[in-house]
Amino acid sequence: MNIQFKKGVLELCALALLAKKNRYGYELVNEISKNISISEGTIYPLLRRLKNDGYVTTYLEESREGAPRKYYQLTEAGKKVGKELKEEWLTFVKKVNSFLKGGVKDE
Amino acid sequence: MNKKDFMNKLSAYLGGISVEDREDVNSDFEEHFEAGLAEGRTEEDIADSLGDPKSLANQLKASIFVREAGKTTSAVNITRAVFATLGLGFFNLIFILGPFIAIAAVLISLFATAIGITASGITVFITSIFGPFFPQYFTGLINPAVAIFGSIGLTCFGILFFIGDIYLAKLLYRLFVRYIKFNLRIITGKE
Repeated sequence: MNIQFKKGVLELCALALLAKKNRYGYELVNEISKNISISEGTIYPLLRRLKNDGYVTTYLEESREGAPRKYYQLTEAGKKVGKELKEEWLTFVKKVNSFLKGGVKDE
Repeated sequence: MNKKDFMNKLSAYLGGISVEDREDVNSDFEEHFEAGLAEGRTEEDIADSLGDPKSLANQLKASIFVREAGKTTSAVNITRAVFATLGLGFFNLIFILGPFIAIAAVLISLFATAIGITASGITVFITSIFGPFFPQYFTGLINPAVAIFGSIGLTCFGILFFIGDIYLAKLLYRLFVRYIKFNLRIITGKE
């Protein structure tokens, strides 16, 4: 898929995944890269930005494998932005789809 | 490329960030490798799918420096943030460095104007007080009262102009940080 497409939706995917439950970095990357092929490292600068902007907070939690893991949790602001982005995306996709299917008649 | 190579390369490109941020970044990737290894992947496989360490370091640096610029208003911080974003691709040269130079040039000239007005006010004030004692150096002086009050007014105007510039600079600074953040959301680094 086109690279600019993927960059844009990465934030949306991360926010959507975090809306369901708190996750750690590797888990997020794994979930996203199951469906979209990305440079997996890109998630970390993104998470850093989300944290700087106050959309997520982090906390450490012990794991079975040993070292504690950094979990990401959406803040209220993050939930709000996630919802807005989702709405925007869905409306946008709907419109583009109707163009692609040729369902939009000329004025 | 194994884990050690990846971490070394990443670290090499992360120059200029604080020790705390460096440790934070390192622990993120340590954790990533550990989680991948626990799934039975090899270090090489994990490092390859993480992507180019240089590009990652540039993106991380940009988000760290922009955060710092937002936290503390300083010319050094904003310059660092601007130059960190330049590492993310050619377009930032136009969309970030361009406006940055334009804003900086306008602010510098406004500050220079304020300093110039203040300095000329002070000069006229000194001249109008001491001038009459040295008639051999100063000829054609205007009415001393007019000169004194006029120069005080001019000096005050210069100082107010300067204070206004400071407020304007702070406002533009905040707006520009927001603008960079907005840009980072769209241009998150070249592949």
